Amino acid sequence: MFYSIREGFAGLIRAKVASTITITVISLSLVLVGFFLIFIFNATRLVDTIQNRIELEVFIDNSFTPEQTEVLRNSINYMAGVLQVTYVSKEQAMEIYKKFFNEDDFEILDENPLPASFQIKLIKEYRNSKMANQIIQQIAQLDGVDDIEFRNDILVTIEKYMDYLMIGILTAGNLLLIGAVALVSNTIKLVILSRIRIIETMRLVGATKGFIRRPFIFEGIFQGVFGAILSILFFYITVKIIDVEIPGIIVVNSYIYLMLFGLGLFLGAIGSILAMQRFLKF
Amino acid sequence: MVQIHNASFRYSGGEGLELVNFNVDPGEFIFLTGDSGAGKSTILKLIYMDIFPQTGHVIVNNYNSLNIKKREIPFLRRKLGIVFQDFKLLHDRDVFANVAFALEVTGTRKRDIKRKVLRVLAEVGLNHKRNKMPRQLSGGEQQRVVIARALVNEPFILLADEPTGNLDPTATAEVMGLLERINVRGTAVLMATHNIQLIQSQNRRIVTIEKGIVK
Repeated sequence: MFYSIREGFAGLIRAKVASTITITVISLSLVLVGFFLIFIFNATRLVDTIQNRIELEVFIDNSFTPEQTEVLRNSINYMAGVLQVTYVSKEQAMEIYKKFFNEDDFEILDENPLPASFQIKLIKEYRNSKMANQIIQQIAQLDGVDDIEFRNDILVTIEKYMDYLMIGILTAGNLLLIGAVALVSNTIKLVILSRIRIIETMRLVGATKGFIRRPFIFEGIFQGVFGAILSILFFYITVKIIDVEIPGIIVVNSYIYLMLFGLGLFLGAIGSILAMQRFLKF
Repeated sequence: MVQIHNASFRYSGGEGLELVNFNVDPGEFIFLTGDSGAGKSTILKLIYMDIFPQTGHVIVNNYNSLNIKKREIPFLRRKLGIVFQDFKLLHDRDVFANVAFALEVTGTRKRDIKRKVLRVLAEVGLNHKRNKMPRQLSGGEQQRVVIARALVNEPFILLADEPTGNLDPTATAEVMGLLERINVRGTAVLMATHNIQLIQSQNRRIVTIEKGIVK
């Protein structure tokens, strides 16, 4: 194993130019992939935050007695997908209105015109327009429900654009990774071709297939890992020294470093294995 | 030790071997002779199982070409010493490393490698040049390094494909002397050559091949 590691590293040094180009391209690809990961992580977090705030507001018929209201509350509470039901009385609704608009428009009226309501929070799986609409249809059939308020349009827009965005980013990310694998594969191919003589000698003196192949796998892994280290350094310097991290809005999760390292290692190994399958047949 | 039974092998160009039969017994020294393209190298390739006969079979030690597994071939080759006309030395490492290479690939311990390499270099008379690079050696010396590399794993047979083909008469005599000493110690030698004078100067068994047929 030590021989394979040493030879893998020596191979990296021998093919200086090809290795430098490959490591640079891997690191650039991983920087871009890193940006994608940061974007996906933050966009998902943002959408989660918006979805967490999504609530249904069910207005209760003015003629309903407290007992009937309680029955209605229980009916909603036991529905699948409902996390929490909070009762907002007519008086509380008035307080909220006054606080929000900072004025009292209803002073001239004899009675409070605002209806009592339930604010309904949904469990995570139901915080999308499709599932929320299912619950709305169920609630609308209950006695005593006057109206249901749900800001569906925002949710639909977010969902629609997030889907497109994710597809776009995943496609671009995958293309980049495939490109990086092809490049590693090409460098290892050049190394294999330049070392045909030594490979031939190894075979003649009784080297096993694994013994001949291992140094090339290590060489690919070294390229991937060095590329990953460069991209990690880039993000570390950018995030920690230039301080582009804006607390609470853009967060750079430290798992990203781990993911980039793993991706680099994976790219290198796959690239060299592919090259060997094509150019080291025996 | 080496048995070739009714072995035929045709390259895509049409040349090859036709129903070859011959044995190499332990400790034998055999000259394999014939014109260029007669099939001498093909016989050696059949023995180190770089190619397999299309009919018949080859038995080397306990390995049979009919049922040897791909992963067993490296272990067969560790029991053979192979020497070529064009040396096949690694020019990015010195004499010691070139010989040590044959042991490194078999996973021999570092301490044993040093001992074995120095011993075999002494045997071929090149201990004093162990730190030289191949290009700093004469043709004869380079071939002796190759023989040292072939011997370091203590093979039971040395397969030599035109080992003196690129050498002058003095270097040829040196290499032949070395091969004889190796043979005297019990290692069989199968040497392919088309050098008639060389063959005639030695009293050895001769296997002649003409157009793929053993005469």
